[in-house]
Amino acid sequence: MNGVAQKIYDFVDERIGLKTLEAKMMNEPIRGGSRWAYVFGSVLLFIFIMQAVTGILLMFYYIPSVDHAYASTQFIIHEVDYGWFILSYHFWGSSAMVVMVFAHMSQVFLWGAYKKPREMIWLVGLALFGLVMAFGFTGYLLPWDQRAYWATTVGVEIMDKTPIVGDFIARFLKGGPTPGQMTLSRFFVIHVMILPAALMGLAGLHLFFFRSAGPAGPFRGTTEELKAKTDFFFPRQVWKDIVAMAVVFLTICSLALIEPVQLLEEARPDPGDYHPEPEWYFLFLFQLLRWKIFFGEFGQFVAATAIPALFMLLLAALPFIDRSPERNIFKRPIALVSWAVVMIGILVLTVSAILNREFLD
Amino acid sequence: MANVQPKIKSTVQCVDGTVGEVAHVIADPLSLEVSHIVVRTNGTERQVPVSAIQAAREDVVELACKSDQMAGFPVFKREDYLTSKEVEIPHLEDRVHAEPGEVFVPFPELERSCARRRFFAGFIQVLGALIGLPLVWPVLRFVMKPMYAPYDNRWLKIGNVSKIKTEDVGVQFIFKKSFKDAVIQREEDKNNWVIKASPGTLSKIYRGKDMVFTDQNGAVVWVNKATVPYVAFSGKCPHLGCGYKWRSHKTRGQVFLCPCHLSLYDASGAVLDGPAPRPLDVVPIRVSPTGDIEVIDVEYKAGKSEQVRIA
Repeated sequence: MNGVAQKIYDFVDERIGLKTLEAKMMNEPIRGGSRWAYVFGSVLLFIFIMQAVTGILLMFYYIPSVDHAYASTQFIIHEVDYGWFILSYHFWGSSAMVVMVFAHMSQVFLWGAYKKPREMIWLVGLALFGLVMAFGFTGYLLPWDQRAYWATTVGVEIMDKTPIVGDFIARFLKGGPTPGQMTLSRFFVIHVMILPAALMGLAGLHLFFFRSAGPAGPFRGTTEELKAKTDFFFPRQVWKDIVAMAVVFLTICSLALIEPVQLLEEARPDPGDYHPEPEWYFLFLFQLLRWKIFFGEFGQFVAATAIPALFMLLLAALPFIDRSPERNIFKRPIALVSWAVVMIGILVLTVSAILNREFLD
Repeated sequence: MANVQPKIKSTVQCVDGTVGEVAHVIADPLSLEVSHIVVRTNGTERQVPVSAIQAAREDVVELACKSDQMAGFPVFKREDYLTSKEVEIPHLEDRVHAEPGEVFVPFPELERSCARRRFFAGFIQVLGALIGLPLVWPVLRFVMKPMYAPYDNRWLKIGNVSKIKTEDVGVQFIFKKSFKDAVIQREEDKNNWVIKASPGTLSKIYRGKDMVFTDQNGAVVWVNKATVPYVAFSGKCPHLGCGYKWRSHKTRGQVFLCPCHLSLYDASGAVLDGPAPRPLDVVPIRVSPTGDIEVIDVEYKAGKSEQVRIA
């Protein structure tokens, strides 16, 4: 640092202890050393920041009204310089977020990093997972095209079937008995105000808990081996994180360039030739509802409400059920098989939903 | 003596010899300087002000008094002090070094009464509740304003029966419905399917009984006569609210098909296959002598085996 910069640094340091802060942030020992497997959390933070930036830019032109939502989104795509790119980045960024959340949760699960003393990090993480899905659900209504309208209609009808509170939740989200302007207003404020505030708060808490408990490190190796390989968060892990962020950034940019967002027709209560379908990360649930055993009111309750709710409850209870300190995934056969079954299940359901499209035409 | 940094475990010497060692250091929270040292002497911890220190060197603290004067210093009362980790005093640890050991700071006189602390904690919570609780109801009512809008029982003209050529075939009628959506007066395309039912289909729909439609209070709004062959179905799939269509099916011939979750209904609206929990919803219909069709845009909750009207 040259003279002036150094003076400014010293000025700030004297008042807020910048040096200590820097040291505390960067000098976090990582048991067993930095790894590529640990990049997902940082990458998620990066994707979120980019979603916030592109989201704020989109709000410069977007108008959250049934009269103008579609037209203003078309305006962003076709008239505003690089509007198509900002919107497409935001669109693909949301998919990247979901992919990374799954990767992050899988890594934590397979490494057994949810176990004592890291239960609270896991629980806050599950809440963050819920927020990411809620971001997706509220976000794709906003362009007010056919996909937006129908995915929301079906999604809200599913929530309506939750026992006791379902009717209230559905009416609260729709802002009335049927979807309309109030639905758009509510989804907008949830998407741009409530969820970002909640995510920032919970992500902060997640990081605070993570720093309090410390990183779990590898599930193999003696204390001596781990000690020998231990390094600090900076520079090796930060370097790996930034490389991963760059890869994700370039991937999202490429997807935005190759496959920019194209709106369907403007939303209306007649789907016409459009076959309503949710975003790809909800397709597995969508396909589940087509299974014969989930026919009828009760079957639908089981598939759309009970199974997802029980699955989330099971994940929340996981660190309290699975109390064995063993973290090696190859010595936890039930965990390994369950993970594989869930992942393959989601994959098969998603692929079959895609194959079903052809059957419809 | 300004800002002495006596080390913990240093030997403490009076002018006539060694009396003990430094057990703790007490800092002044305002000046951020050491105010006292605690000397462990003959099994007692005594609090000695820094003014009594003549010199503090590496491992040795020299006091200006004689060893028999040590008993004159007050006994250290642990309960009157907090460790520097338990309080938030900025820069204290930059200024006072006591490693390895703890820096003590005085527990303020005003903070020692437990009863008052509890009173304040309770008082803070009560006032917080007084601010928060009166807001619950207004905020709830504020967000609930549009949620339970009354049913719309207006008759809407949707088209003419001349569009229907064949019996038991679904014909789509797309019509405009103008309404006030919050502050916006707007028009929306709505969608009903109408069939001209054959006697067999008609009896499957009505089972010989007229169909009664009521408002929120249970008052009768309209009765669909079981003898009128024109039947209008709400365009909303009773499974999860998608829009279904009249399509030809490989094995079942002409059916109503919902593309979302693949529910199939016959011309009478009865479920042939798929997840739908109930038949298609019949809406109030009246046909003028000139063949103009009017309906009430009744909407039911999807996903229920019973009809639950919501609009």
